[in-house]
Amino acid sequence: MRITTILHAKRHNILEKVGELSKAFGNFPDSYVKRASEQVYWETPKAPQYTKAAIEKRNFRFTTNRPWTSQFRMQNMSNMKRKKVFVEPIENWGFFRGDRVEVLIGKDKGKQGIVNQVVQERNWVMVEGLNCHLRIVGKEKDYPGVVIRSEAPLLVTNQVALVDPTDLQATEVEWRFTEEGEKVRVSKRTGRIIPIPKANEETMDYKGKKLYMTREKDTDVDVAQEISFKPKLCTFEMDIMESMGIEEDRIPKKTFWY
Amino acid sequence: MIILNLIKRTTFAAQLLNRSIFNNSLYNGIKYCVTRNIHLSQPAHDINEDVNNKLMEFFDVPKNWNENEVKHGRSWNLAELRIKSNSDLHKIWFILLKELNMLKTMEHEYKREWKWWASPERIDKVQDSMKNIETVVRERNQAYHMLESGTDGEQPGQYITNALGLREYKKSVEHIVPYWANKKWREANPRGCHGPDYQKFMRLYREKIYNDKRKGRNRDKNHVIRLLSRFPNLDRNVLKGKYPQINFDTLNKKDLYRGHYVPDVE
Repeated sequence: MRITTILHAKRHNILEKVGELSKAFGNFPDSYVKRASEQVYWETPKAPQYTKAAIEKRNFRFTTNRPWTSQFRMQNMSNMKRKKVFVEPIENWGFFRGDRVEVLIGKDKGKQGIVNQVVQERNWVMVEGLNCHLRIVGKEKDYPGVVIRSEAPLLVTNQVALVDPTDLQATEVEWRFTEEGEKVRVSKRTGRIIPIPKANEETMDYKGKKLYMTREKDTDVDVAQEISFKPKLCTFEMDIMESMGIEEDRIPKKTFWY
Repeated sequence: MIILNLIKRTTFAAQLLNRSIFNNSLYNGIKYCVTRNIHLSQPAHDINEDVNNKLMEFFDVPKNWNENEVKHGRSWNLAELRIKSNSDLHKIWFILLKELNMLKTMEHEYKREWKWWASPERIDKVQDSMKNIETVVRERNQAYHMLESGTDGEQPGQYITNALGLREYKKSVEHIVPYWANKKWREANPRGCHGPDYQKFMRLYREKIYNDKRKGRNRDKNHVIRLLSRFPNLDRNVLKGKYPQINFDTLNKKDLYRGHYVPDVE
């Protein structure tokens, strides 16, 4: 291999492709999402003489399965090559979990429902009980399987429209700023604000921030919010040494940095 | 199996320590460490229990061993750590370090057994908190050094030309002797590169960078053309913001934009 090839190698970052809403729903640190979803088959050792290069999967197909799940990994195995999916870029995302939307296509055209899942990577939303199909799960030779009704995804660009809460009719939406500087969704037809629903706060850990149950190893809110910091003219190390009764009176020799 | 192994392991360690406390004079160092933390007025079996309990802190609570998911909170963020005193940060750091040690022990054991370990994101959350503590400590130290000496007190570094002739940032290292007196270091860290080989290498390297840029530009252009042919109502301003290098006026002259059909000619 040419030395220039190694020097100019660039690592692929799957985090750039995972949607912000997906990350918020998972409530995981970015580092976990990265290491759970990426597929690195070989990488250069972590030592100063190596540049960062890796053999890894670069083309992922995002589906209704979240990127950090094993199902996602199964759908993106190393031997799978699937056609590229073109996703329309959207500047300001306007659909959130809990929104009331109207379906514009399919057999449920004209019906309204609540969004229960958002897949930002594909511009998809799932509407509760609408645009459904039947799936047979667990079918075997001697067992007919179980029929499950599951929602098919709908494109946010032209297959669903948000519903104005004042007159319960589909409307186009615009992002504007209030006088307080808050960014809000405004119905283009009536000019009313469409608030972002509470269900958008839901993560895999809790339904809402106020409904979070304190766990065994969690720090109490009072303890976490207690202000114990007092400004003091010393470094961290000097402060700790003082509190531990360690005295340092040696004078360091002159050294050189290069 | 995991549980059995863990118990076996801990009891073995406990036996080792017990032996050191009561019988074996070889383990005097350990004896000292252990007995310092134990009330010696307790009867012997209580001491054993105490040692066992303390050793069990290396592992997760047995309740979580066969769980599919361990519910837990989030990591400490910067705003929460900035209001804590230095000694509090010190304490939190060691709690986190102990937790990280425990989690990595559990992960190792489950991997060894080829078992599913619940909630591996706990490691990331602990590491995230530890990184935030380091950031806060660094901020405080930098403020002190800026006040006292006008520098941030961080490890110095500079951009150098390395042995391949490329510019790179290198952190400086502390030495006892000055640069001009340290011949060994100078020979081990050659700076700069000259000659025909260097010229050839740089030409190839620049070609590589140029080709990568050119290919990236073409890739973007083809992607935009395909997007436009699929979504004719797409807002072009969004695309222009995302791909500033592409000239949108000439795109519709490309064959790719037109598609695989003969246009109507009047």
